[in-house]
Parts: sequence; structure tokens; C-alpha cells
Amino acid sequence: MMRTAAAALCILAASAAGARGEEKAPTAEEIVNRANLVAYYAGADGRAQVEMTITDGRGRTRERRMTILRRNVAEGGDQKFYVHFQRPADVRGMAYLVWKHVGRDDDRWLYQPALDLVKRIAAGDKRTSFVGSDFLYEDVSGRGPEEDVHELLRTEGEAYVIRSTPREPRGVEFARYDVWIDRATFMPMRAEYFDRAGKKYRVVEALEVREIGGHPTVVRSKANNLESGGHTVSVFSDVAYGVGLPDDIFTERYLRRAPTKWLK
Amino acid sequence: MRGALPLVALCAAAAAVPAAADPPEQAPRPALERARDGVEEARRLIPFEIHGFSEGALGWLPDRNRLIRNHSFNLMEGRVQLQTTYRPEHPAFLPDYGTALAVKTDFVGDGVEERFRVEFRELNARFTPLHWLDVKAGRQILTWGTGDLIFLNDLFPKDWVSFFVGRDDEYLKRPSDALRVSAFSGAANADFVLIPFFTPDNPIRGERLSFYDPLLGRIAGEDSVLHFNRPPRTMDTMEYAGRIYRSVGSYELAAYGFKGFYKQALGVDDPAAGDLFYPRLTAAGASARGPVPAAGGIGTVEFSWYNSEDNRRGRDPSVEPPQLRYLAGYERDLWTDFTLGLQYYVEQMLDRAAYREALPDGAPYSRDEFRQLLTFRLTQRLFSQNATASLFVFFSPTDADFHLRPRFGWNLTDRWNVTVGADLFGGRHPYTMFGQLKDDNALYARLRYSF
Repeated sequence: MMRTAAAALCILAASAAGARGEEKAPTAEEIVNRANLVAYYAGADGRAQVEMTITDGRGRTRERRMTILRRNVAEGGDQKFYVHFQRPADVRGMAYLVWKHVGRDDDRWLYQPALDLVKRIAAGDKRTSFVGSDFLYEDVSGRGPEEDVHELLRTEGEAYVIRSTPREPRGVEFARYDVWIDRATFMPMRAEYFDRAGKKYRVVEALEVREIGGHPTVVRSKANNLESGGHTVSVFSDVAYGVGLPDDIFTERYLRRAPTKWLK
Repeated sequence: MRGALPLVALCAAAAAVPAAADPPEQAPRPALERARDGVEEARRLIPFEIHGFSEGALGWLPDRNRLIRNHSFNLMEGRVQLQTTYRPEHPAFLPDYGTALAVKTDFVGDGVEERFRVEFRELNARFTPLHWLDVKAGRQILTWGTGDLIFLNDLFPKDWVSFFVGRDDEYLKRPSDALRVSAFSGAANADFVLIPFFTPDNPIRGERLSFYDPLLGRIAGEDSVLHFNRPPRTMDTMEYAGRIYRSVGSYELAAYGFKGFYKQALGVDDPAAGDLFYPRLTAAGASARGPVPAAGGIGTVEFSWYNSEDNRRGRDPSVEPPQLRYLAGYERDLWTDFTLGLQYYVEQMLDRAAYREALPDGAPYSRDEFRQLLTFRLTQRLFSQNATASLFVFFSPTDADFHLRPRFGWNLTDRWNVTVGADLFGGRHPYTMFGQLKDDNALYARLRYSF
């Protein structure tokens, strides 16, 4: 669940409305670094309500609803996420805390209110489903730009098209992915993932972007699993940046006691 | 025990009826949409939301067990749990102090005990009088420590009967009536818990599970005549528990202290009458938890010193002797949605020479100096994480006994869950922790509707 939320949050936050010059194209690395900041680091902190509708290949739907709080420890670097679940009923009141680290494993905790249990979660694979949706943890919390080699394929309409190839192919399920990044906002608008046979199997797209608090923000996004036919739509509401989240929200204290003031 | 069946059927039927407040799932027609809007509107008007579940559960003993109350079922119940949290907004100081009142109550129609009961699992008030201080007073679930189904410094009451008959893991924890004060600072955090009235574990006493009765010297059920005598309710019998903890980088360090009683009746008052008592206990310990360098995954270590106040030197074989307890654990993901957990746990009897000397001739068994326990947890999530298959194994090489807990849980929808599993026991001797439960092998199924 957490990953989706984080991804969503990231997608939401976009800060730089870049100068729209046609003159000199930036390098692929510059584009990707800037897109990373726009998508995942907007403001010093952020908050969003996330509603996800997961539709499987046979058309059956499930709902997830959560509030995500985020605080940047360093721009483009470490971050902290707090995810508070409201739906479905069996996970209501659970809270998930992530201290995202660049260059080493994240720290993660899960609070189960029925047992008053703060459980430490092994960091594990970031490319697994977030809360059973078609979004992956890495979609939610971001993928470090340094983990891939980036190549500017072309400029297509309003977007740069970047091809990214993993430096360490073991441990990821894709062979490469192409990203369409808006030239004006640097928001990643679409990503297509290809397997080792060169077949496209997954598409993540921003369906609606709005400017909130000066940051371009994805308020609706969709992840498509082309193999199963399933897809997940995330809708973000009550999005706010720079809300002044105290650092201690991201500690055991507020796992055991939901920070209601910040979850509204 | 046929008379119990209609009650169970009734409970199961009750469990199967969705709560009235549940909005219609499909609402293509305006009338249904209006009805849903109406429900949402009604929910907005009351100052709190009610959530919970209804559940029917059945635990079947394929080999039958003639010692216990119902020979064929040790779990047969319908249960409705309702919970709400109310945050008063007037007068103004209540929200300023973050005041919240929490209630969680189970209504249980129990076909094994053939009665209806109400269990208050939570009934407490919480507030933050100072920005660095949280207070929670009333009935609450208390948990700390690093073990996975093994508890060293967590000396709060458990319900091992629920645990062994296949209820949800939630019911392993028994609520305490307590005052919890938590203080937070940059250097370290502290919890202090005061429990005015002693609450023991829910003891295995032969009603649902047959067990080793030390006074009969054999496995017993309802024929056991043990009396579990609680300490009187006086100032002297209050319990105190404390924890100081902090993080160092990614590592969590904690120290614990406890003064109170064993939660199991580990002392014999009068063997002839079957009178058992809860010996006094003071304990101190520490734990650390964090990522394992190089290997990845989460490692834990915890230890605790149990000073049995009624048998400090270990010379009284009728009372639990002092012990040191050690735990090391490791957990990591091996592949997508698969987690492996391992634990190694040791109980070391202190002053065993004194115990041996005091043990009467002809005692049926003598305890080892070291009791070792290994646990394995395998968890695989399936079907887009909508189902979980898991196996938890307890195995003691020193007691030569084991307990297996296979389980499969499936969220059919966001509201319906079905869980099936088994509790299997075995051992060489009838007097060990899991060996005594060898006739309690059961298969169980639960159907739950959450709202």
C-alpha cells in the first residue's frame, strides 16, 4: 500500500515550472534529475488523501483509501513517509512508516492497532505491489535516478522521451522503460516498461495534473498491467505542500497514536 | 453437546448478515445512490464512526478429545466486534489536549461454553497534557518487545487458549486495565505502565484444551481440579512496567523493567487441594532491533532476567525458579511477497543445583537447565496480496515437542474474508509446553464480514 501512496505523492509534487526554451535541450540526466524532484520532492513536506480503485483482469474492483504524509530530509535525498489506512475495513487504523534512504535499504515499520504492535518490516524488494494494487512501492516513493542509465531518445510534442536502462538488471523485473516528461513542468506523464523480450507489459500514466500551491501535481494517475488486463486508478485529494509537519510525526509515538490533526 | 449447535448456527447466521449501515455495493440506480448518500449523511451527523466485523468460527477436533467440554469442537462461536473513537470538541481544552475516547467491544455467542458474553477489549481515554507527554487510562491492549509470538519483556496478559484454538491473532493479547504514561524527548522516550488490578493470562484449564495437570500427574481436561488463586486486590499487588527506548540510526534500543506477578500460576500452594498461585516477579531486560549489515533483513536480540521473588534462590521446586531468557531473531524477504522469519529462544534456569537438591525423590520429571525453542515463520502472499498462506512452527529440541500453525486467509472482497488453518501439536513427553496439547489438534475455519 505504501508504495502506491508514495508514488502518488511524488507524482503530485512538482515544483519547477521550467523556462520553456526551445534553444538548448538539457541532457538526459538533467531532465531525469529535475523530473525526480518535481514528481517526488515538491515542497518541504506534503500531504494527500489517496483513493485507489484496483480493477483486476476480470473486472472485479477493490478500494484502498489512505492519507499520506511526507517530509523531505534532503531535497533529492532521504525522505520520510507516514501512511494511515482508512479502507478497506480490515486494515483501518493501521499505519505504515517509511524512512526512505538513498543508497541503502529503507527503514519500515507497520503498526497493527488490534495488537498495539509496532512491527519492523524487512526492506525487501521495492518492485512489489503496493497494497495489492498495480502500483509498485517504487512508483510511490520514487526510483533513484542514479540506478539507471538515461538516454534522451527524442522530443515528441510537449515531452522529452527518455529511455532508462537499469545499471543492475538483477533485482528489477524490467529490461528498460521509456518515460515521457513534460517539457514545461518536467512532470513524468507516462512510463512504459519493457521485459527482456522487448515486450511492453506495464504502463503508468498521469491522467490529470493540476497546479496546487505552485507545484504541478498529479491528481489522477493510472497503472496498467498489460499482462493481466488489470489496472489501478489513484485519485489524490486534499493535497497540500509546506504544511509544517513536525519531524516527530514520523516516529513510533505517532504510529501508536494517529496524528489526527495532520490526517484531516 | 448437541444443544450447542443451534446457538452456533444462530451466531453464524448473525455473522453472515452484513451490518445495516453498509452502503450498497452496486449502485447503478439513483434510488440506491440516494440511499447511500443518506447513509453517508447519517454518518456525518453522529460525531463518531462505528466499525468492526461479524464473524463465525468453528474449530473441529478430528480425533475427538473426550477430556474436554465439547469432544468435537474447541471453537464454535459467532462474534460481532464494534469499535469507535470519539474525539470531543467541547469544551475547547479537550481537543487542545488531543482527547480521544476509544471503545472496542466483542459480543460473543459461544457454542462451546454454551453462553453469551460481552468482552470489552478497549475502553479508555487518551490525552496529551503536555506536548511531550501522552496519557492513556482505562482498558487497553499493551505490547512491546521484539519477539514474534515469543514474549520476554512483554509481561502483559495473553490469551493462550484463543491462540491455540484458532481465533484471530488479535485475541492472543488480553486487555489490561491500566494507566500508561509516555514521555518523549530527543534523547530517549519512556513508557510507564501502572496496572492496579492484576490480570493473568487466560489459563489452559481443560475446558477447550486438555493439558498436563501436575497434581494429577497426567493430561487432564474438565476433570482437573486446579484452582488458580489470584493475589488479593491491594496496594501491594499493583503491577508496574516500564520501558526506555531510543533509536540510533536505523537501530532501536530499549531497556525494560517490571514488578508484579507471573501471568501463569507457576506456584503450588496446596498440592492436595489443587491450589495454584501466581508468584511474584521482578524482571529487567533489554532489546535491539535493526537491519542486518550485508545480509539484509531485520535482526533482533532481546534478553530478560526473571527474578522469581517467591523463590529467589531456586530452592523451592513448587515455585517457578529464577531464569535468564534470551532471544535472537531474523526476518527477510526471499522473493516477491515471501517472507522468512527465524527465532532462537533460550530459557536458562538459575541455581539449578539448588533445584536438583530440593527436588523430591520420585518426582515425575526434572526440568532442564536450558530450554531451547526454535521458531520458523513462512509467509507467502498470493493473488495480488489478497490471500496469505503462512506456516508458523515452534520446535523445541530440549523439550522434544512442536507446534505447527498452517493458515490460509483470503480476502474474497474488501469486506469478506475466509480463513482456514490448523493447530497441530506433538511431543515426546506429556508435561512439556506443546507435548501436553497433543490431543488438541484442530482444524478451524472463520468467515468474517468487516465494516
